[in-house]
This record gives sequence, C-alpha cells and structure tokens, in this order.
Amino acid sequence: MGETFKLRIKVYKYTLILTCLISGIAVFVIREYVPFIYGLVFGTLIASLNFTLLAKTLERAAKMTPERAKGYATSRYFIRYMIYGIVLYISVVADYINIIGTIVGLLVIKIVILILHAFNDKAYYKRIFRIR
Amino acid sequence: MEPITGRALILACSAIGAGLAMIAGIGPGIGQGFAAGKGAEGVGRQPEAQGDIIRTMLLGAAVAETTGIYGLIVALILLFANPLIGLL
Repeated sequence: MGETFKLRIKVYKYTLILTCLISGIAVFVIREYVPFIYGLVFGTLIASLNFTLLAKTLERAAKMTPERAKGYATSRYFIRYMIYGIVLYISVVADYINIIGTIVGLLVIKIVILILHAFNDKAYYKRIFRIR
Repeated sequence: MEPITGRALILACSAIGAGLAMIAGIGPGIGQGFAAGKGAEGVGRQPEAQGDIIRTMLLGAAVAETTGIYGLIVALILLFANPLIGLL
C-alpha cells in the first residue's frame, strides 16, 4: 500500500469532485463543450497517473542513499515530463480534444493539493486581513 | 537571396522561444532530485518519520512540477498552434 496511499485516495477523491464541477460549468458556459470535457478527462486521468508515479518514485527514493535518490528522482521526473509532453502534443494535434481542457485537467490535481494542504489554514487569512 | 518574410521570421522566433521555454522544465527536475536526496537523508536520520517525510515531499514535488508544465505548454503552443501567425 505504501505510506502515501490514504493521501493519494483523498487527493483523487477531491480531484474527481472538482473535475465534475468544472465539467458541469463547461456545459453551460462553453458552446462546444464535448471536446473540452474530453480534454479535461484526458488531462485529469494522466495527471492522476503521474501523481501515482511520483508517489511510487518518492517511496522508493526515500529508501536509497541520498546520492542515488537524487539521480533516481531526477531521471523519473524527466520520464513524467515526457508523458506530459506527449499528452499535450496529442491534445494540440487531435481536433476532438480541446487543448485548454487538457491544460485545466493537468492542473486540477495541483489546485486540489494547494487547496487541501497549503491554503487550508483559516488563521493565515485572518492574519492577512487583520488591521493593525 | 530571397528576402525574409514576416511568416518565416515569426516561425523562426517561435522556435527559439519554444527552446527557451523548455529551459523551465529543467528546474523542477533538479529541485525534485535535491528534495529526494534530502528526504532520503532525513529518513536515514529519523526512520520513524518516514511516512511524514514522504507525504510532505510528495505534495511539494507535485506542486513544483507545475512550472515545468507551464513551460511545456508554452513551447508546444508556439510550435504547433502558434497564435502569432494569425495576426499577419
């Protein structure tokens, strides 16, 4: 299962919810919404798989020596980067997939992570808007 | 020698721009490698905190990848769906 299993499930769950929400909005806002939704689903699926790949990479890297972990994580990053490149190229070339949808799909998981784990502290916002 | 047309100039500059945009993809790779190295060091020093270290590293690495994706998007749009050619 690994140390990140629960975290991954939580992130996937919220990613699915956000993707459905964006798809629902796209149906009302965008005239040709089918290619956009195709792109969104395509991007979200690839981003989720790449997130799993990242988790597996880091779980393995943590058990290596620091020097080996450095090289291993960097090499795996470039493999994932190549996958992103192929996905974006397919979206640009294929007419039935909207590139904007794919870009949004790829970034949905990052937005979920930021919302769940970076901007989830209410005290932080209170400090920003506090009048001194 | 034929004169350089506006379209050819835009295509050439776009290719150079795409190459420059791809530099953005190198940074996250180096950063992730560095973080993984330090994470492995941390796990070696404090094995009981392995789960916390990996989880924090995972979230950080996933967000750090975003800038690389932006660079890739800019490069691919400049190469295959250049919006500047339509302005001619």
